[in-house]
Amino acid sequence: MADPAPDDLAPDAASTRRERHASTARTAVLAVAGGTALFVLGSIFIDTGLIGHADTNRDVVASEPAAFSPPPMSSIPAGPEGDAIRRGMQIFLNPGTNAREFVGNSLACKNCHLDAGRKPDSAPMWAAWVAYPKYRSKNKQINTMEDRVKGCFTYSMNAQDGPSGKPPPPGSDIYKDLEVYFHWLAKNAPTGVDMEGAGYPEPTLSAAGYDPVRGAQVYSQNCAACHGSDGQGRQDINGRVVFPPLWGPRSYNWGAGMARIDNAAGFIKANMPLGQGNRLSDQQAWDVAAFVNSHERPKDPRQTGSVAEAAAKNHKDEKSYYGKVLDGRLIGVGTPLPAR
Amino acid sequence: MNASRAPDETFEPYEEHRGIPLPVLWIAIALAIWGVVMLFHTHHAVGVARVERAGEAQVQAEDTPLSGASIFAARCATCHQPNAVGVSGAIPPLSGSPFAAARPEVVTQILLHGIDGPIEVSGARFDGHMPSFASVLSDDDLARVANHVRKTWGGAKFDLDAAFVARERARFPARGAWTGGAEIAATLDPTLPSQPASIPGQTELADAATLSIVNRGSGGGWACASCHGARGEGRGNVPRLAGLPADYIVKQLDDFATKRRDNETMTLVARSLSSAQRRSLGSYYAEMRSPSSARPELGGDLSRGETLALQGDWAKGIPACFSCHGPSGFGVAPGFPALAAQHSGYTAGQLAAWRGGTRRNSPVEMMNRIAAALGDSDRRAVADYLATLPPVPAAAPKETAHGRSGAR
Repeated sequence: MADPAPDDLAPDAASTRRERHASTARTAVLAVAGGTALFVLGSIFIDTGLIGHADTNRDVVASEPAAFSPPPMSSIPAGPEGDAIRRGMQIFLNPGTNAREFVGNSLACKNCHLDAGRKPDSAPMWAAWVAYPKYRSKNKQINTMEDRVKGCFTYSMNAQDGPSGKPPPPGSDIYKDLEVYFHWLAKNAPTGVDMEGAGYPEPTLSAAGYDPVRGAQVYSQNCAACHGSDGQGRQDINGRVVFPPLWGPRSYNWGAGMARIDNAAGFIKANMPLGQGNRLSDQQAWDVAAFVNSHERPKDPRQTGSVAEAAAKNHKDEKSYYGKVLDGRLIGVGTPLPAR
Repeated sequence: MNASRAPDETFEPYEEHRGIPLPVLWIAIALAIWGVVMLFHTHHAVGVARVERAGEAQVQAEDTPLSGASIFAARCATCHQPNAVGVSGAIPPLSGSPFAAARPEVVTQILLHGIDGPIEVSGARFDGHMPSFASVLSDDDLARVANHVRKTWGGAKFDLDAAFVARERARFPARGAWTGGAEIAATLDPTLPSQPASIPGQTELADAATLSIVNRGSGGGWACASCHGARGEGRGNVPRLAGLPADYIVKQLDDFATKRRDNETMTLVARSLSSAQRRSLGSYYAEMRSPSSARPELGGDLSRGETLALQGDWAKGIPACFSCHGPSGFGVAPGFPALAAQHSGYTAGQLAAWRGGTRRNSPVEMMNRIAAALGDSDRRAVADYLATLPPVPAAAPKETAHGRSGAR
């Protein structure tokens, strides 16, 4: 590149200058090329994740993936079967309107079967669907799903205080619609297998047992904000039940599974406070379940004679206060009919 | 030229020009390129987001107008239910309702102004509290949803158009909610079945002392209205107060005063208020009705927001917002504030504060646990969705059995 003309000062200076320019240009080219290469290399590193890219806002991933997940609500098919599934879901969410003849309190299916019957450890309906028909010691016979749902209306929904005074008659569309909804929820679920997340888990009962006095403390700290210190739940400005009543005339009756302390403890432990399952210790769950179920509620519809007779016949060996005396008060006598 | 030249006495030692080492240049240039790219990226992202948001707004407003059925599903079904049977004892049915079959003014006026009083539908009596949709739905949308209701459940044959809704909107420009079925029947359609008499509204004006705090501030504190607006409507990250439960407002003021809830401005204000003043301000705002000024402003995914509000996301352990804040986001006294028509900036900001732990004054850390499971996009989605809802139809003051108990 440099001009080789020797012994001439002026040309020599010019050539040096040119040489210097050339070298500057060379340096510039090298620098730009190298810089670009470095930038590209750096971006590749970042993109491939070799260099950490702190994203504190990334959504939290589910901590415990459910063993089974029912189909999304958006996938309910069109057509007559889809219509029945939707009707079943509406009954499940709003039985006081869609099955009003047969509901005698302020509860709905969704209160104990959370997320419209989908949530594991909250007696999900996809797990129940594949468990029936089966033998139940509660009535000592084989129960179909219709028999089981009839039990829900009879006890948990306290049908005796409803407009018709009894659960839906055999073969009612209410059973059919609910069953087709459960069937749809259980799509791809195995039959005859104990599914993970079925029913409620049973918390460990320590030597300390359960105690409603300790439970009252747990209740006021963890439950009263929503269910009220009087346990009567809360309604919005339109009178719609937002937090269900836990005892008293508008809650489940003495025949309901939830009136058993072990059952309630399992539900509470896994699901309460809402969205904070397992916040309470096993001991707290047992105590607060005992507190809730030490209050009076509608009478057991199976009771024909005295409470003592009904206790011996239907509540033997169960963990409940039915027929027992607590603070000088006989438990299980029932609450008066609610005003309508 | 002489072979031997004397050393140049004027020679000054100098340092060879040495170029900057190449690696230094590389790094400098790489950084420069990175800087330019980042600037471009940010600029581009902001631009794209702006265009997308404008595009979405247009898509919703013009390109594919929502059908009456989908507006009903999104706006009405949470209360009236997807099958329009309502909720026994709480929400009137539309199916078989004489109001759906009445003159077209009836449905339109109910949508525009809401109801706050007794109404009898198909033999059942309701203490109705329905919000006004005037501030959250356009005349076009109102016409479509009114048509859907009237044709599906009222047997109507003809459609209303936006011009009809606009005329009805202009008819009673300043009125509040209809005070019940009786006023609707008397004003709009005398052929409606007889209606229970409206309970005279207890719209007593706030006392002068409370109004003075609202508008001029108490000793040392700012006036509420200077930030929260003359009608308690709020703006940006300043919350809407109109329609929040009185006990909730009092609790927040107490928490600001004791610094249990952190906000320098509000701490100063709250500390200048006596507990009686806090209570009267709580009632003042709880009973206030004002239109929504909230709009989705964060570019959130509205359908994801709707899912979170109505169903939650149990796979992430998130319960539905409405399972505690009420089925339409109207709040549940005493402890659960209304979320409907709240400003998206405020809602998203509070969710971030719950998540970060700078706000922790909810019972059993409920909101901290929930917000911990909500990422940035979920926070924007749900905040934007809530901002599209009609404001809570503030109920007239009432001493219910357990309405005022258990203040927390």
